[in-house]
Amino acid sequence: MRVVVADDSMLVREGLARLLADAGVDVVGTAGDASELVRRVELTRPDVAIVDIKMPPTHTDEGIAAAQEIREAHPKVGVLVLSQYLESRYAMRLLTEAPERVGYLLKDRVSDIAVLADALRRIDEGECVIDPTIVSRLVNRPREPGPLDELTARERDVIGLMAEGRSNQAISQTLFVSPKTVEANVRQIFRKLGLEQSPDDHRRVLAVLAALRGDAGSGAGPA
Amino acid sequence: MWDDADMRALRLALWPAGFVLGVFSLALSRGDPAFSFAGGSLGGAIALLGAGWALLACALLFWGRRPVNAFGPILASAACAWFLAEWDNPGAGSAAVFTIGLVLFAASTPLVGWAMLAYPTGSVARWSGRAAVAIALGGAVIVLGLVPTLVYDPAAQGCAQCPANLLLIADDPGLYDDVNRLGIRLGLVWALVLIAVAGWGLARSSPARRRVVVPVVLAGSAHLAFVAATFAASLDRGFVGSGALERRLWLGQAAALVALALAVGWGLVQARRTRAAVARIVVELAEPAAAGSLRDALARTLDDPRLELAYPVGEGRYVDASGHQVNLAVSGGRSATPLVRDGRPVAVLVHRAGLLDTPALLEEVTSTAHLALENERLQAEARAQLEDLRASRARIVEAADEERRRLERDLHDGAQQRLVGLSLALRLLRGRVDPRTELVARLDEADTELQRAVTELRELAHGIHPAALSDEGLAVALEALVERASTPLRVGDMPRERFPPSVETAAYILVAETAKAGAVSVGACRHDGVLVVEAVAETAPEGLVELDDRFGALDGTLLVEGRPDGGVRIRAEIPCG
Repeated sequence: MRVVVADDSMLVREGLARLLADAGVDVVGTAGDASELVRRVELTRPDVAIVDIKMPPTHTDEGIAAAQEIREAHPKVGVLVLSQYLESRYAMRLLTEAPERVGYLLKDRVSDIAVLADALRRIDEGECVIDPTIVSRLVNRPREPGPLDELTARERDVIGLMAEGRSNQAISQTLFVSPKTVEANVRQIFRKLGLEQSPDDHRRVLAVLAALRGDAGSGAGPA
Repeated sequence: MWDDADMRALRLALWPAGFVLGVFSLALSRGDPAFSFAGGSLGGAIALLGAGWALLACALLFWGRRPVNAFGPILASAACAWFLAEWDNPGAGSAAVFTIGLVLFAASTPLVGWAMLAYPTGSVARWSGRAAVAIALGGAVIVLGLVPTLVYDPAAQGCAQCPANLLLIADDPGLYDDVNRLGIRLGLVWALVLIAVAGWGLARSSPARRRVVVPVVLAGSAHLAFVAATFAASLDRGFVGSGALERRLWLGQAAALVALALAVGWGLVQARRTRAAVARIVVELAEPAAAGSLRDALARTLDDPRLELAYPVGEGRYVDASGHQVNLAVSGGRSATPLVRDGRPVAVLVHRAGLLDTPALLEEVTSTAHLALENERLQAEARAQLEDLRASRARIVEAADEERRRLERDLHDGAQQRLVGLSLALRLLRGRVDPRTELVARLDEADTELQRAVTELRELAHGIHPAALSDEGLAVALEALVERASTPLRVGDMPRERFPPSVETAAYILVAETAKAGAVSVGACRHDGVLVVEAVAETAPEGLVELDDRFGALDGTLLVEGRPDGGVRIRAEIPCG
C-alpha cells in the first residue's frame, strides 16, 4: 500500500513514516502543511493520505479541508485524519464533507501499528473509519431516557461497531455471530431509533453517529 | 468708582426721584399747554406719566435684579429723558430747566433704541448696532439739541415769556433752521436704522434667544417707528410741530413705551419662573434621587428633551450621572456649556444651541442647582470609579482567560505532539529489539505509561480551556461538552453566532460547572445586546462566588433560585455589545 504522511511536527511525521515503512507500508511522500500535501498527492497518487487535523496556518482544522479537497480531486485516494480532538464533531464534519474512503483516528493511537494498518486497509477497501474511543464515549455518555434505552446489550455492541464504520461482515466476525443475526440486529436498531435504512455505508455511519450524539430531535429548549 | 452699596443707594433714590421728576415735568408742561402734548389734556398727562413711570419702574426693577447689567441704567436714562422733553416749555420759568429741555428734548428716543439693542445682556453685540446707537445719540443730542440751542435766542424769536437760553452764543435764525432740518432728516434715518438693526439681530439669533428678545424689540421698534413718523411729518416744516397728527403720534410713542415696560417686566417674570423651577429641582433632589433625575429635571425646566449633563472626573474625562463615559464632541445644533462654580467646572451641559446664551439663565442654573449638581457630580464620580474597577476586573479575567487559551494551545501543539513523537520512537525501537528479551516488556510498559500521559494531557488541556470554544463558539463547545459531561446535559436552542471571548467563556464555565454537579438542561438567546443563558439543574454549581465574580466583571448578572422540585433555576445575563 502507498501512503503520503502530512504532519507539521517533524518528529511525528518522520516517526510515523518509519513505523509504517517497518510495517511494510510504502510511504511515497511526506508533507509539513496542507498545500504541500495536496501537491504530493497530485504527484504520487497514493492509496491513502494520512493527515494531521491541525496544520499551519491556523492550527485548527486544516486537515478536514485538505481531506475534502483531496477526496474531490482524487476520488480513488482515501484520507485518514489524525486528531487530538475526542469530540465527535470533527468526525461528523469529515464524513459530511468528504464522503467515503475517509477515517478519523485519535493521534495517540498511531503508535499502535496494528490499529493504524487496519484503518488504512479498511479505508483503501472503501470503508469509513471512526475511532472506537470516540464511539464508545458517545455510546456510554450519560443521557436522559430515550429510544437508545430500548436497545439490547447485543444491539448496543452492534450500533457501536456500525458507528466505527464496520461492515455487517466485519461485525459478524468481531462478535462471532452469523451475518444474518447481525442483519436482524441492524434492522431492529434502525426500527427502534426511527432511522431510515440506507444501502450506503457511509450514510449509515453518519445516521448512527447522529443518533448517538442525540442530534435527532434534540431541539428542546430549557425546561 | 462706586461700590455696590452706592449703586444700591442710587437705585433706591431713583424711585422717589423719578416720581418727583414726573410730577415736576407735568407741571412744566402745563406752563404753556399750547406747546405741549402732555400739558394740554388729562389724557396727555396720563400718557406722559404712565409711559415715563412704567418705563422707569421696570428699568429699576431690572437694575435691582441684575446690578452689573447696563440695560437697567440705560432704560432708566431713557425714562428720565422722556420727561425732559417737556422741559423746553416756554412756561418753564427757569432758564436752567429751559436750556436743559432745549438740548435734551429728543434724547429719549436713541436711549430707547440703545436699550432695545442691549436687551437682555446690557451690551450691544455687533459693531453695526453700536454705530447706530452712537449716530442716533449724536443726531438727537448734538444736531437736534445742542447746535440749534447755541444759535437760538427765544426773546429775539418772539417768545417773550420764554426763560433765557443759557447756552446762547449768537442768534442766527437761518442756521437754526438749517440745522433743525438736517437733524430731522437725520432723525428719520437713525430711527429707521435702529429698527433695521434690531430686526436683523432678531433674524440672526437662535430660537431660544428670539423668544426672550422679541417682545422688547417689537415694543422698542414701535416706539422708534412712531418717532420716525413724527420726523417724517415734520420734514417740510423744519421743526417738530404740535398739530393733531403729531399729538396722535406722540400718544403712540407713549403707548409703545408702556408696551416696552411691560415686555421688560414680562422678561423678569419669566426669569423668575425659571429660577423658581430650578429651585424646585433642588427641593426635589433634596431626597435621594435616582441617577439622572437632575438631568431630567433640567431638561424639563430648560425645555430641551435631549439635554445632556456630564461631569468632569479628571484627565479630561466626562461621565454621565450613572458613571458611564460620555463623549462631549457636540454635533449639529448642539453646544456644550460648562457650569462653572468658584472657577471650577462642576458640570457640562450639552444642549440645543442658543438655549443658554443668556448669561443670566446660566447663572441661575449654576447658582440654584449648585448643591444638587455637586451632589450628583460626586455620585457620578463614585460610579465612574466603580465602572473603572469593573473594567479592571474584566481585564484581569480576560487576561487570565487568554493565558489559559495560550496554555491549552501550547499543551496541544507542543507537549502532546512531542509525546506522540516519543511514543512513535518507542515503537520503532521496540521493532528493533530482540522480542525474546526483557527489554520488550519494559518498552511496552513505558509505552503504556506514555499513552496514559497523552490521555491525561489531553484532558488537562481541555480542562484548562476547551479548544472548541475559541475555535467555533459557545454552541459547538456546549455540544462537545455533552459528550464529555459525567451527567446528562441537554443543550437546547443556542445562538450560533460568536460573542466576545470573555462572554463565551463565562457562559461556558457556568454550564460546565453546573453540569459537574448534576443533570442540566440549558438554552440561551441573544436579546437586546444581552446574552441570556437559562438553565434548569439538579443542583446549584459549586464555586458560585467565583462565577458571580466573573459575571460581575462583565457587568452581567447571575441569578440562582430554588425550585419546588428541589432543583434550581439559573438565569445569567451578560451584555455582549
